[in-house]
This record gives sequence, structure tokens and C-alpha cells, in this order.
Amino acid sequence: MVGEESKQSPPNPKNGKKNESMFSPRFKSVAEMAGWDEEALLIASLVVEDTPDRDFKQKKRSDLQFKTPPTNSRRKRRAQRKSPVSASVPVLDFDEDETSGEESGKKKIEPKTNADEKKELGKKELSGQKTGVSSSSSCLPCMDKLRDELSCAICLEICFEPSTTSCGHSFCKKCLRSAADKCGKRCPKCRQLISNGRSCTVNTVLWNTIQLLFPQEVEARKVSVTHNSRETEHPSPPRRSHYNARNWSIQALNNPEGERQSVRRESHREVRNRSVGPSGTISSSVGGDVSVRMRRRVPGQDEDAALALRLQREEFMEVFRGSDEQYRRSSLALARANLRAMATRAANTRIRGRPT
Amino acid sequence: MNSTGMSALGGGGGRSWSSTTSVSASGKRIQKEMTDLNMDPPSDCSAGPKGDNLYHWVATIIGPPGTPYQGGIFFLDITFPSDYPFKPPKVVFKTRIYHCNVDSTGNASLDILKDSWSPALTISKVLLAVRSIFTNPDPYNPVIPGIAHLYLADRAKHDELAAEWTLRFAS
Repeated sequence: MVGEESKQSPPNPKNGKKNESMFSPRFKSVAEMAGWDEEALLIASLVVEDTPDRDFKQKKRSDLQFKTPPTNSRRKRRAQRKSPVSASVPVLDFDEDETSGEESGKKKIEPKTNADEKKELGKKELSGQKTGVSSSSSCLPCMDKLRDELSCAICLEICFEPSTTSCGHSFCKKCLRSAADKCGKRCPKCRQLISNGRSCTVNTVLWNTIQLLFPQEVEARKVSVTHNSRETEHPSPPRRSHYNARNWSIQALNNPEGERQSVRRESHREVRNRSVGPSGTISSSVGGDVSVRMRRRVPGQDEDAALALRLQREEFMEVFRGSDEQYRRSSLALARANLRAMATRAANTRIRGRPT
Repeated sequence: MNSTGMSALGGGGGRSWSSTTSVSASGKRIQKEMTDLNMDPPSDCSAGPKGDNLYHWVATIIGPPGTPYQGGIFFLDITFPSDYPFKPPKVVFKTRIYHCNVDSTGNASLDILKDSWSPALTISKVLLAVRSIFTNPDPYNPVIPGIAHLYLADRAKHDELAAEWTLRFAS
């Protein structure tokens, strides 16, 4: 926030007059709707420019509120400056925040501005930027209090997807749900009974208000939420890849043409060997064993794949148990060829078995 | 200026925590409470983590003036459960105190630390509640009935004893 402030402060005083022509057509149309022609806007911006101290704060808030490129927010800043609401701001003197003795005075003002603020933000969707901006200027000096007001009492952060209880208290939807789960169905603030259905709905107006007022916090929260959900989803990618592998092998079983060719190319001898019967090599003996098992019944696709996987594992185990490096290499190729042949035959058996 | 200072501090704390892999919700909340306590500590109270462990705090309460506990500094141990704030923290007096609502092992019998706990309560509020039993003991729900009896029967004697204990153990 501090960085933003220092970043945004320099351009303002000088650029004030230079950029009047930069009112966007949209802004102008909105301003016209509100009865401001361009000249009035200019005059208003010049008039309010005389109060640099307040400007400083307004600028920061407007940047907070609208995450837009600087030129854009400059426009909005001007809108704040010329807005009539800013004239009422001195009532809430900023110094008040530092003096601790004026509690009662502050509290009287707070709810009023809060309510005004929300009302105006609600209207914003209808009347465009202007109302929203002016409302932001009205809440500038009490941003801390707003922050407190819009914070969830459970996580103590700005409410994320606030949900309002039947007794009128708002919490993050997630927080309220866990509170209901772990502490009983009572409002954490006033202990009134709360109904389940209500606790799941997001208070849209409040949520929009929060998003407008604290875009940075909301964004940070969103990032952490997606981060967390990604973390919880983590186990799924390997599962998916396993599934793909299985699909792939099933595909291979279903369309054995290409596979069969490669098998022939790689080790024609081995396939013949095994079909005759178990030979001296380890790999082919294993393959023969399984092929006998396979002929007994027609296996389903999943079983085929599982079998192929198991077979592969067995072969590798056996291969790596052997000490001879060269032999290992050749038997690896043999194992693979065996596997392919197996798959082909399994598919063939199934195809043959199906019509019966 | 106050505002920027607070938000920068709070935000900084949050950032440093979120950077260390995934911090639990309870950790975040305790962290937040710590910054809030530092910004605006309740009167005559202080609290903070004991060491590196965020879930183990030590707190002090200064005996409120006008009570027999006046002038004493009472140390408390606060232990946060892992599902804080949905379960109450454990608060134990480390300093001996003559009080009908604090048992000999230092457990304060406060309803908000048991059944009446609410996740909306904070350590700051808990400390205020503990402080309030200094000024207003509840002799009708005592953990040490003897002290409660004396409190009801002979308040002066009770206060004298309490002040003596305060002087002996808490100053």
C-alpha cells in the first residue's frame, strides 16, 4: 500500500490540467447523465485541486478501489475531486484517527457513512462510475473503520464471499460454515440460532462492496484460495496420468494393427517361440505362463491392462535380478516384445470370444 | 498515517506467513491477532508468543486498582488448539492467585473458555474477561468453594488474604 502511494503521488499535481482532454467518452456520457458537462468537470477539478492534503488520500483510495492503469485512475481521481461529496469530508477529519479520546464522536459518524457508502455502491451498477467514485471519497477517512467493519470476526480478515446470518451478522462463507460445523449452529457474534440454508448464500451486495473497496486483499485471498485448492487437488494428476496410461494400453489392445507390426519387426522369433511353448529364456517362460492363463477365459479390458502391467513389472524384476549387463539389455527388449504380443493375443481372443 | 502503518504491518505479516508454504487458518488468525494486539493492546494486559511457537503464548495482567490484586503482575499461559478459533484457547494462571474462580493449578473457570466460547472472540477479549474476574469474582460458580464462602461471608477478610497473596506471589 505504501509503495502504491509513493508510486501514484508524483503525477497528480502537474497533470491535473494537462489531461482534461483525456476524459473517456464513457466517462463523459456518465457525467452527462449526472448533469455534468465537460466544462463543469474541468472547473470542479480545478476547484478541488486546491486541497492538496485530502487529494493525497483520495488518490490512494481510488487506486485501491479500481485496479486500473494510471491514466484511467487519474480520470477517476478527478471525478472524486469534483464530486460534491468530497465537500462533506472535512466532517470526518483525518486527524481523528490519531486521537484516541473521541471514541463516541467517531462511532456516531461511522455507521452513517457506512450505510451511505453501501447504498451508493449498490446504485453504482445503474449509474456508472460516478456514484461509485464519489462514494469512495466519502469513506476515505474511515477506511480503517471500514476495514474493521467489513472484516470477518472469525478469520479477522476482510470477508471473503461474505454470508449474512439471519441475525444480521456477516462472516466469510467458509468461516461461517466451519463455525457451524465445529461450534454449533449459533451466530459467533450474538449466539442466536442460525439456519443452515442461509449460511450458504453469499451476500452479493456486501461482497461486491468489499471487492470494490479492498481489491488487493480480495485478490490476495483469491490467489491463496486457488493455491490451496490446487494443493488439495494435487493427488489427481498422477491418477489421471495413470488413467491415461491405462487408456492407452486399452487402445493398444483394441487396435493392435500397429502394435502387431512393431512386434513382428522387433522380435519375430520370440513370439513364435512362446506360442510353441516355454523356452529356456526367462521372459518367454513368463509370457507362456500368462498366455495359458489367458486362454482359460476371456478377460475384460481392465483386466487385460492390469495383467499387462503386472506382467511388465514381473519382467522388469526378473530382468534386474540378473547380473549380466548385456543380457539384461536384450531381455528388456524381449520383455517388451512379449508384452506387445500378449496384448495382441488378448485382444484377438476377446474379439473371437465376443460373438459366442 | 496511522492507517498506512497498520495495513503495511498487517499485510507484511500476512505475506511473510503465506510465503512459507501453506499456513493453516489458525496460524493466520493467531498471527493477525498478534499484530492487532501490538497495535492496540487492551489496558493493563499484554500477550505474545512465548518463543517460536505461535500456538503458545504468555500473557500478563496487571491487578486492577481498587481490588485486592492491585499492584500484582499475573502471568498466564495461553495455548491455542490447532483448530483455533473454533475451539477455545487454554488459559492458565502461572502466578498463584487467591481467587474463588481460579483453581490451585491456575485454571480460570470462565464460561467463555468452555461452553460459551465463540470463534468471534479474540485473545484480547479473553484477557479482558480474565481481568474482569479480578474486579468481579463469581462466588456462585466457584472452583474453590472455601474462598467463595469467605468472599460472601467476610469480604474484608477475603480481600486481606487476596492482597497478601498478591504481595507474596505477584509482585
